[in-house]
Amino acid sequence: MARLKLRINGDDTEVEARETALLLDVLREGLEMTGTKRGCETSHCGACTVLLDGIAVHSCVVLAARCEGKEITTVEGLSRDGELNELQRLFLKHGALQCGYCTPGMLMASTALLRRNPRPTLEEIKVGLDGNLCRCTGYTGIFEAIQACAARAK
Amino acid sequence: MVERKLLRPESMEDALGQREHYQRDALPIAGGQSLLVLLRNKLIDPKVLIDLERLSELREVKQSKDGISIGAMTTIHNLFSLPEVRTAFPVLSQAASKVGSTAIRNLGTIGGNICHNEPGADLPPALLALNALVELRSRRGTRKIGLSEFLRGYFETTIAPDEILCSVEIPQLPAKAAGVYLKHAISSEDLAIASVAVVLIRDNQQAGKAQEVRIGLGGVAPVPFRPTKAESTLRGTMLNQKAIRAAAEIAASEADPMTDPHGSAEYRRKMVKVLVRRAIAAVLEQPERNGHGKA
Repeated sequence: MARLKLRINGDDTEVEARETALLLDVLREGLEMTGTKRGCETSHCGACTVLLDGIAVHSCVVLAARCEGKEITTVEGLSRDGELNELQRLFLKHGALQCGYCTPGMLMASTALLRRNPRPTLEEIKVGLDGNLCRCTGYTGIFEAIQACAARAK
Repeated sequence: MVERKLLRPESMEDALGQREHYQRDALPIAGGQSLLVLLRNKLIDPKVLIDLERLSELREVKQSKDGISIGAMTTIHNLFSLPEVRTAFPVLSQAASKVGSTAIRNLGTIGGNICHNEPGADLPPALLALNALVELRSRRGTRKIGLSEFLRGYFETTIAPDEILCSVEIPQLPAKAAGVYLKHAISSEDLAIASVAVVLIRDNQQAGKAQEVRIGLGGVAPVPFRPTKAESTLRGTMLNQKAIRAAAEIAASEADPMTDPHGSAEYRRKMVKVLVRRAIAAVLEQPERNGHGKA
């Protein structure tokens, strides 16, 4: 076992984990942060997407030990003082979710996309979300929410 | 059960020492985007993982008049973004843009993509068409071999148990070269059902004539390969419809596809014909650029 020092959503935390533990398992089981979803576990579906130093990664294929010294952001880190952030509110407004299982991953992939490219075209949005599957919405609401968020970017 | 160990060497010397010590009990881990899936599905069970992340020299990209050397730990995203790759070897940029998904490209690496040697991977066909070489290091020394020699078989390479793939070298292309990568897959994040990379070296004197057409095929054989018979029919010829069609037929006959849930062997073979034809047509449409080494 190893004792990992992780910085998650701006807070420093320590957790016991196997040396080769995956970030997804450490978040969900070690730290009981279940906002990050367990999906396919083969890096296809994107339900487990988190940010590592601002970059979207699938936490099911990331060694937790490699995250030491890096900034991890999960869906729990988006809201402030119980208030949803703008992207989250726009997801609600545009009906960008139905069952909600893909939503944390969608939000994190969109957040990474908008950081890299604050005014993405529809095509760039599609590429930015190519690692995130949604089986309910048909994606239209998700694309609209991200476009609306981009339109508000200065 | 003994817990799997993770080693995180800080120097190449340490990493090679660990590789030599553990041999087949250890596997190097690059981006982990394929390896960690294999581990989870219990398809591999190494006692030790040797993490290459801290070896910054494996991320170096060096350009010279002879070509470019790309560190094995260069991520697919960075490979795609490198201006020197985009201008000199656009076929490789195009292939990089087709690898997996954004998240996979963010962490996955060129070295990992090659060492995993998945039949439908995107980089090998492009790198084969670019005559790429791989540099392998061990405590015994350094060797450099052609990629086609490295990719031995289905998910198998000729890496020795004490070696680490350090860099990929691409020789400079002659002037008047052009390249195209086409991928056929069900969904953008899927592996290729069939893919083709074409690098055209134009004849210096005659427009429409090929000095050489190099073709890399993926997804249609146990290992990505160059259909050399098809290539030889195009060497020094005018690239008209008839010649292109004939070469595409031959390339299809050189494929050795398998059936899986993404496509039957027969379908894959037909797609080789279509993709080779389209890729050569596309490469011919590219404007000729002047200046040395622009592809």
